[in-house]
This record gives sequence, C-alpha cells and structure tokens, in this order.
Amino acid sequence: MMKLIKEVSHYKSMMHHRAVLMLASCALLLSACGVSSVVVQGSFPAPNVARLPMNIAVVYDEELRNFHYIEYSEKGDEEYNIASGNSHVDLFNAVLPAMFESVVVVDNVQAAIESGVDAIFIPRIDEFQLALPNKTKLDVYEVWIRYNMSFLEGDATQIADWVLTSYGKTPTQNMRSADSAINDAAVVALRDLASSFSLSFGQVPEIRDWLASR
Amino acid sequence: MKQFPSLALTFIEMGQLKAFSLLCVIAVLGACTSTTVDEFRQGETGIERGESIVILGRRHASDYETRAEFVQCVGDRIESGSNAISVIPEQEFVDAMFPWFEPRTAPLRTRDLERLMAEQVVAGKMNEFGVRYMVWLDGYTETTGRTGTISCTVGPGGAGCFGFGSWEDDSNFEARVWDVASLQNVGTISTDATGQSYVPALVIPIPFIARVEANACTRLAEQLKQFVNGG
Repeated sequence: MMKLIKEVSHYKSMMHHRAVLMLASCALLLSACGVSSVVVQGSFPAPNVARLPMNIAVVYDEELRNFHYIEYSEKGDEEYNIASGNSHVDLFNAVLPAMFESVVVVDNVQAAIESGVDAIFIPRIDEFQLALPNKTKLDVYEVWIRYNMSFLEGDATQIADWVLTSYGKTPTQNMRSADSAINDAAVVALRDLASSFSLSFGQVPEIRDWLASR
Repeated sequence: MKQFPSLALTFIEMGQLKAFSLLCVIAVLGACTSTTVDEFRQGETGIERGESIVILGRRHASDYETRAEFVQCVGDRIESGSNAISVIPEQEFVDAMFPWFEPRTAPLRTRDLERLMAEQVVAGKMNEFGVRYMVWLDGYTETTGRTGTISCTVGPGGAGCFGFGSWEDDSNFEARVWDVASLQNVGTISTDATGQSYVPALVIPIPFIARVEANACTRLAEQLKQFVNGG
C-alpha cells in the first residue's frame, strides 16, 4: 500500500515537473516570437550653462509625447517597439529651466501666445534610427535621432528653425539584455541632445541675431 | 555475477575521472594571465590631503568604448589599501559637470581642458570637488581564437555535456594622467593583459576562466596609485 502511495506521489511529482517544463518552454517560445517593448527611462541632469534672461513657453505636441519607433527584423516582423516620448519631455523639462529664466509648458501655440512670453519653443523628432549588433556586426548598440527645433517670438513669428542630431551607443555585454542595452544607448543619445542643444543654442545664427537685437 | 557490471563501471568511471583530472590540470595551468604594465612619466606628481582624483572613461571612438565597470574597478582599488587616494565616482562627476564631459564634449587634449577651465562654472565645480588629477582611461578587452565545441544532450535518463572549448582574452588599457593645477599631461600608464580560458565538459562543463580584465584593473590601479602618490 505504502509502495503504491509512493509510486503515485512520484508519478504526480514527475507530471508536475513536466507541466512546469512545458509551461516554461511555451513562455520562452512566445517571448521569442513577440515584439519587445522598450520604454526609454533615464535621469537627465540640468546643464551648467549661463541662463538667458528670457521667459519662454514650450509646446510638446502629441507626436512628440507619444513618439515611438518600431524596428523591424530582416523578415519584416516587428522586433522592437521603442517608446521615447515621455523621456524626451523629461529631458527638456530638466534642460530648459537651466537655460532660461522661466519656462511654462503649454498645450499649443495659441496658449503660448496668450501666456505673454518672450519666445515659444517647439521641439519635434524627425527621425529615429537603431543599429543592432546582429545587423551591423559591431559590438555596440547605436541610436541616432534627428530633431527639428522651432523657436518663435512671443506672437508666434518665426525666429529660427534648425536641425539637431544626437547619437548614443552602448557596448554589448554578457548578462545584459538587448532591451537594457537599447535603453542605455537611447539615454546616451538624449544626453547628447541635451549637451549639443544647451551649448549650441546661442550659436544658431538667427537666434544669435535675435538675442543681439533685444 | 552481479559484481562484474559494477566493476566494469568502476573501471570506466576511473578512466573518466583520470581523463577529467588531466583536463582540469591542463586547464588550471593554462587559464593563467600574463600582464605587462608600462609607465611613461612626463612630470612630477604628488597629492595632498583633501585633494581627489577623478577617473573617466573615453567613449568617443566609433567601434568601442571604455566600460564604466572597468573605470569603477580601477577607482575602487585606488581608494582601498595602503596609500589610498580619494576618488570621485565617474557618474557623479559627469552629472555634476553636465554637459562638459559627455562623449562629444569631453576634452581630448590638455589644451581643451585649459579652455574648459576658463568657464567659471566648470572651474568652480572642479574646485568644489577638489580634483587634483584627472585620469582618462581608454581601452577594451577583445576575445579571439574561439575554438572547440561542447555538445549537451537531455534525455529521459538525465542530461550531460561533452567537449572542450577555449578562447583568448586580450585587455589593452591606457591611463593618461592630467594635472588639473598645471593643466599638463604628467604621464601615461598602459597595461596589456592576455589569458587563455578553457571549458572542459565531461558530463558537467567546468569553466576555467582567465581573469584578464580583472588582472589588468588590479595592476593598472596599483601603478596609478604609486604614480599619483609620486612614487
């Protein structure tokens, strides 16, 4: 009787192990087939630059707030879905108050005009590119982003419209997932944007002339 | 009668054990690292109490970048033991100095540092940190010569692996030391470490990993500590 109970118990345990193994295999297969979602997250320090005596309004349009990029595999399947809209908003919210005397975030240009600020700033993402080690055969994950920056007077008259590019990379490493490496490369690219934007802002010819005329 | 199979099994096990022991001995002997450190001094050094150093990784090359973990390893070793030196953590320094020490904006030559120190905000922060020396680490570890195969099988009776794999790691790092007070390059220390790693597998794969990067870190940190202290 005891032997029978032991055998039943052994059989149950074996079935349990098999079920766990099958579940794990299914989960692995499903995860291998689906698209990987990466929500870019990072911390962005305020730049140490001279603050301009100016009140500005910033407009983050829906396209920027909800920006996401999809990387396709060589077969044409969706491989990575990278959402970086919120991190761009966080970045500008950290950078702009260090560059200007006061910054207000508004929903649209009309609201900016009504707020009576000196200037209006509208950042937009033009293009996002991702380079993966399995495609480039390099031991780095790379992210390129091209931006279109618009700077308007308080009444929405255009001052400058210029293009900025940023680049970030991170090396491949054992025990680090591709998602984490992509996030790190994107954060480096965002920091690159913050550094080039804060250092080159006053050197954009139209902005330099406008600042000189004030 | 019953003793024969078990005796045969014992002989087989003994044979496997001998072969395995031999592989282990070869691997242990082989998984060694050789490290060379070169120092080139261009100026006098020395550090006072209350002064610190900052160790930064170069990240401007297109195909590689100095890993933050290696930078931290060197910093941790310089900060510990006898004649320890205060080291400012890399990320804390880079964030506090933002955006002047990012991959695209960091000074590549001492002349660039001189220009950077003309910025009041940079000079002020540098003073706050009490930075006396800035150490730029540049390099990476390359893995080459991967040979051998290991095959593993899982069956109802169990699982096991058989085979042999090996590879070579080569770590090349260079540390340039800038004196923030005189805005001069006071010396360069370079380290080259190589080592062969093995993984023999007889049922269970047992890795014998040559600690190439760890050795490069230890030797470079020892030499840097001595160099900065004026030894």
